[in-house]
Amino acid sequence: MKGIFFNLSVRSVRLNFLRSLLASIGIVIGVVAISSMGMLGTNMQLLVKDQLTTGINIIMVTPDVVMAEPGSSVSSSNGITDIQLREIRDAAGVNDVIPIDKGSTQFSIGSNDGRGSIYGLDPDDIRSIMNVSEGTTIRGESDAIVGATIASRFDIKIGTRIKIGEPNISVTRPVVRVAGILPAAGLSSSNGINTDNAIIVSDTWYTSQFGEGNLYDQVNIYLKDVSTLTEVEDAIDKKVNRNKEVVRISDSSSRITSVSSTLSSLTTFIMAIGSISLLVAATSIFNVMMMSVSERVQEIGVLLSIGTETGEVRRMFLYEAFILGIIGAGIGGIMSVIIGYSVVSAMIGNTAYFFLPESIVYIPVGMIVGMIVCIISGLYPAWHASNMDPIDALRSE
Amino acid sequence: MDGTPLIRLADVSKVYHLESGDFTALRHISLDINEGEFVALMGPSGSGKSTLMNQLGILDIPSAGEIFIAGRNIAQMTNLERTHMRRDVIGYVFQKFYLIPLLSAYENVEYPLILKYKKRDASGRAAAVLKSVGFDEEMSAHRPNQLSGGQQQRVAIARALVNDPKIILCDEPTGNLDRKTGFQIMDILADLHKKGKTVILVTHDPKIAEYAHRTIQLEDGRVVES
Ligand SMILES: Nc1ncnc2c1ncn2[C@@H]1O[C@H](COP(=O)(O)OP(=O)(O)OP(=O)(O)O)[C@@H](O)[C@H]1O
Ligand SMILES: [Mg+2]
Repeated sequence: MKGIFFNLSVRSVRLNFLRSLLASIGIVIGVVAISSMGMLGTNMQLLVKDQLTTGINIIMVTPDVVMAEPGSSVSSSNGITDIQLREIRDAAGVNDVIPIDKGSTQFSIGSNDGRGSIYGLDPDDIRSIMNVSEGTTIRGESDAIVGATIASRFDIKIGTRIKIGEPNISVTRPVVRVAGILPAAGLSSSNGINTDNAIIVSDTWYTSQFGEGNLYDQVNIYLKDVSTLTEVEDAIDKKVNRNKEVVRISDSSSRITSVSSTLSSLTTFIMAIGSISLLVAATSIFNVMMMSVSERVQEIGVLLSIGTETGEVRRMFLYEAFILGIIGAGIGGIMSVIIGYSVVSAMIGNTAYFFLPESIVYIPVGMIVGMIVCIISGLYPAWHASNMDPIDALRSE
Repeated sequence: MDGTPLIRLADVSKVYHLESGDFTALRHISLDINEGEFVALMGPSGSGKSTLMNQLGILDIPSAGEIFIAGRNIAQMTNLERTHMRRDVIGYVFQKFYLIPLLSAYENVEYPLILKYKKRDASGRAAAVLKSVGFDEEMSAHRPNQLSGGQQQRVAIARALVNDPKIILCDEPTGNLDRKTGFQIMDILADLHKKGKTVILVTHDPKIAEYAHRTIQLEDGRVVES
């Protein structure tokens, strides 16, 4: 049954091929806009998520800031004690626990002064969580390794000496020698430490200079199995915090959800912008369909007067809109692959995620949306055609 | 047909509502047409012949009065029933042929069969009917704009016949044809009448009207002679 009406629609489109093609261009643009915007956003999300999840297996324990009592001027941050560290180790079970001293310091390299973070860790721990891209790890007492940002900003080479502390003519400052340089970590620090702008020294050197005794500023727990995250956090909380909050336990999972929800609303937003172009497309399809109907008024009159059901006439014009949609969505789908890929590689610089289902799915999504827009645009013209009075339609010239 | 006419018009009037006021195109027409009649409908231009044909063809419903076709009251039918009646009981032949331009001659004839049976014709009926009206088989694949007027009207008659309707309505079927071709078309219609069809024909030409066995004369929306 579909046969003859579908044939009529195909022939009508073919008869006005150029016009139909032009109308379809709107759909092509809409499909390309929606799918490449969607893919762009998704690729961005996937990339950022991947970078963020590098540190997801880390629990960070930091001393809780004791708030000043009203009337008292004391507000102190205690640091984590050896006893607490032992408790954390107990609670952490098989997982690696690494205590960290950290602070911020001024330093000088040659005649250049700078400021950055300084970390003190056990050299064995350093070996287990940091891999230098140049040089070696810390071996001697006054060896240091530096992050990529500091290294490039101050043009640091292996063997460069760094004076630590405030520049002060009257005091000779302690000096460390750069043994190794870390690769750039960006957001994706796999060890939970922002090393890019940091100098890392041995814990003994750190204590000798900044002397906090046996208090640590942070303890990192590296989970062997990410799924035990809350379990381990609860265990530490129970063991260390008992009935009073003395340490704060955090991880990056909340950061991930908040960043990815931001990115996904961003994706929705840019896709919404893309779909504006479909509004334009809808107008042009509507226009062409109305033209097709008004050019064929007499034919519609004939169809109706020799016994074609109104539903059949309606279907004939809906097929026509459908065909325009197929053309537009088909071309649009192919172009989305090309344009989407170019946009993703130009704007994100990484196409590793492009062909993943989460990303590529935007092509069929865009095509289906384009088709739907086409059919919706054809609804009124089709209804208009099928509701004509056959006599009036026949009389029209 | 045990006395019941195939077509009965009872006090039918048709009023067109125009901006300039109402215009009455048909005034209180009562008529019976029996199965197997060959009727010519004549009258001056504007007398309401086409308007009357549209009522008979169920393309329109009267403003007043009742029309019965094959025993059914047109006004009491649903739109879909009227559509099916046009498809199955009535064959309409127009002055301007009105073939579907995107379909070939053969497809134009097959079209009503597809409407009725919801599938393409495998019985060969469309081809047989085309042949019966003297249409050159080699032209079957041609589109209407590649055919002469006479050829187009043959196709149009074949299209009107293909669902084997009881009634054939022809509104000036020879109006756009030369005399010779016009008579050829009339021979086809006379032949159909001989085979039992009820044929109603509008014409201005008395020579054409001679083919019919009964003439109904319209004037100013009234039947003046029948
Ligand atoms: N759809 C319409 N709306 C308004 N007036 C109409 C309509 N159709 C026909 N008329 C009017 O009704 C009258 C009868 O028209 P109709 O077409 O039936 O005449 P006709 O007898 O077929 O004439 P002709 O021989 O020229 O074909 C005419 O005056 C015409 O203007
Ligand atoms: Mg007329």
